[in-house]
Amino acid sequence: MFDHVISELKNLFSAGEISGTEARLRFVTLPQNQAVKAVKYLNEKQGYRHLVLLTAVDYIEQGQFQLTYLLHNPENRTDIGVRVLIDRENATMESAHTLWPTIATYQRELREMFGIQFPGSPGVDDDFILEGWRGLPPYRRDFDTKAFAESFFPQREGRGTNDPAAFMKEKLYPNE
Amino acid sequence: MGTTKDILSPFLVWKQFFRKPVTIKEPLKRQGADRYRGFHINDIQECIGCGTCESICENQAIDLVAVAGIDTKSGDSGLRPKVDYGRCCWCALCVDVCTTGSLKLTNVFTWVDTDPDQFRYIPGVDAKPWDNATKGYKKAASLELYPLERIPMQHLHPEERHDSFIEIIKGFSKEEALREADRCVACGICTATCPAHMGIPEYIKAIREDNVEEGLRIMYETNPLPEICGRICTHKCETVCSVGHRGDPLSIRWLKRYLADQVPASAYASVLKSDSIEKNNRKVAIIGAGPAGLSAAYYLGMMGYQITVFEKLSAAGGMMRFGIPEYRLPYDQIDKDINYILSLGVEIKYGVSVGKDITLEQLEKEYDAVFAATGLHDGRSTRIPGTNHSGVYQSIELLRKITLGEPIEVAEKIVVIGGGNVAMDITRSLARMQRQKYGKVQLIATSLETEDIMPADREEVVEAREEGAIIYPGWGPREIIVENDRIKGLKVVQCLSVFDEQKRFSPKFDESNENFFEADMVVESIGQGANLSYIPASYFEQLEKDHRGRVLVDTLTFQTKLPWLFMGGDIIEGPDVIHGIANGHKAAKGIDQYLNANREEKQ
Repeated sequence: MFDHVISELKNLFSAGEISGTEARLRFVTLPQNQAVKAVKYLNEKQGYRHLVLLTAVDYIEQGQFQLTYLLHNPENRTDIGVRVLIDRENATMESAHTLWPTIATYQRELREMFGIQFPGSPGVDDDFILEGWRGLPPYRRDFDTKAFAESFFPQREGRGTNDPAAFMKEKLYPNE
Repeated sequence: MGTTKDILSPFLVWKQFFRKPVTIKEPLKRQGADRYRGFHINDIQECIGCGTCESICENQAIDLVAVAGIDTKSGDSGLRPKVDYGRCCWCALCVDVCTTGSLKLTNVFTWVDTDPDQFRYIPGVDAKPWDNATKGYKKAASLELYPLERIPMQHLHPEERHDSFIEIIKGFSKEEALREADRCVACGICTATCPAHMGIPEYIKAIREDNVEEGLRIMYETNPLPEICGRICTHKCETVCSVGHRGDPLSIRWLKRYLADQVPASAYASVLKSDSIEKNNRKVAIIGAGPAGLSAAYYLGMMGYQITVFEKLSAAGGMMRFGIPEYRLPYDQIDKDINYILSLGVEIKYGVSVGKDITLEQLEKEYDAVFAATGLHDGRSTRIPGTNHSGVYQSIELLRKITLGEPIEVAEKIVVIGGGNVAMDITRSLARMQRQKYGKVQLIATSLETEDIMPADREEVVEAREEGAIIYPGWGPREIIVENDRIKGLKVVQCLSVFDEQKRFSPKFDESNENFFEADMVVESIGQGANLSYIPASYFEQLEKDHRGRVLVDTLTFQTKLPWLFMGGDIIEGPDVIHGIANGHKAAKGIDQYLNANREEKQ
């Protein structure tokens, strides 16, 4: 089902790792300067007309973000995920809003939640849901959710907890 | 600039008043999807209050609280999670990390109440309408936040070990130790179960952070024999490990060994800061250089006391050296732990038997306090006919001889009576010696207990078989058959049960089902008793005893009714090494308290 399109991607682009165990889904990794071109090619020449989503994963250990453009072909009902690894430092990716206007919304979300820049994407710097967020983008792995929850949301009155080991000492061997 | 529309607009909204409302009235009667993440349920009997759900919660929505009717006991903190739905975001990480699998989310998602405090409750304790819901989010079987399987320990295969006494367990590499340490959820449930209450999660954390020196310091706070315990501890901690509820418990014992193995003996003094102890002039005598005596010596030595240990045998270690075979605990590792204790200035007088070479009265006069930790070294006999034959031995005597390098007449066919760890020790030692001498093993170990209730550790039984011994449990010894002054073998009858309904030792036999094990040597290994003959009758009378005549001590200080005499180790509690270590530590603190109080009185 994918043989033709995968071999074409390999011919035309420097397609890296191909993966995917589900019958109707494949992922292909491409270099940063080819990813949007490959997405455009799949959209215009291979029938992957529908953008399912654009999302990111923070691989902080490698100093990279992984973006995934998930595309759907309504004719043969298959999906291809185009993956691209970009530098985490000053993360910037080419905008794909000329292919689908709706992708601008995803790009706006990624700018707000991960701090990834998409220059030229309409309204990309507008607040998405966070409204006035100034700190580290919260989907970055080095964002300390617990510390934020502690400082931002006060505890309800009457709350209190116990450390299991200390509690067991107090109950079972308080004087040892 | 205002327009007519601006002026009219407040009134225009009134037209909405006549429209059909968009909102729908309750009840909605719409179910959540099968795996929807709604309100929590918790199987309160399965839950052990390990608190991993609380630790992982990024919103601090979970508190561990005491619950009436749930007792704190070994393996269960008695605490249960209470959820604050003002903070919960239904991410379900608490479900994914739950060590017992007791915590789940139902697919129930509607709950209306006017009192905000109602939205904090203890799932499984505070009754809710969804308590019996079957649908909802459960951890997927394929998803694990920590590996359930242990990192396998490298060891010698049977054919590599069955004819020598070289150590079987190879120990973790750094990479293996880090991976094993990474499985720990750091709940701390294990600490209460460890007789010495070791800071287990703390030293495992030190391994994760690759700070072996800090790990060694943490271990020495509660256990001055980590090389030894890291090899042969009965690891009760592992039986309650929260990770063990759904997977293999952490290899706590092997991780302890890893830490001790990493730090060379020459670095101990600087790591443990024992190079600057302030000495005092008070003297404590310790009888017996076993785990309890050495532990007391270490902690008293660290407090500055002058310690003299009286040891009957020619080397220190007690059962650790003279009971446990070298293939489980090599002598150089015992020496590493003991030499460090000696480096504190502790003196051991070898070959001095209290009661013979020096009396307890003398110790009372010459020392400020005495700690007796003489252990269980007298083998018990089955007293069946034939046991007085010279070819019938006590396991504990043979093990002592093997350590001392004294010759043993190893027979071609041997029967060992006993199903405990000591029985397995002598079985495996003699099997090695038979193989060395005859090139084959002809040894049967038999016990009253059937295999499912044999007191020996499972791995001991398995490994003994791998090394060629036959383990044949479930038989009661009746007679050692002797013909022309030569042992022919052991007559046994089937044992039906060992304990009665009150769990008292009361074996029942099927006398009609007999069996005969051919042998020309029989070894008895059915337990050891204490020999307290060094305590003069005038002193012994003053000690408190239970109905079985066992000496009773204060459970916190190990002080006897004679204020200067403290007793601990196998003669009081156990028998095992870690209880001995814990007893020695408590006795050291007890002696310190007693002597400080004494001095204040004198002043």
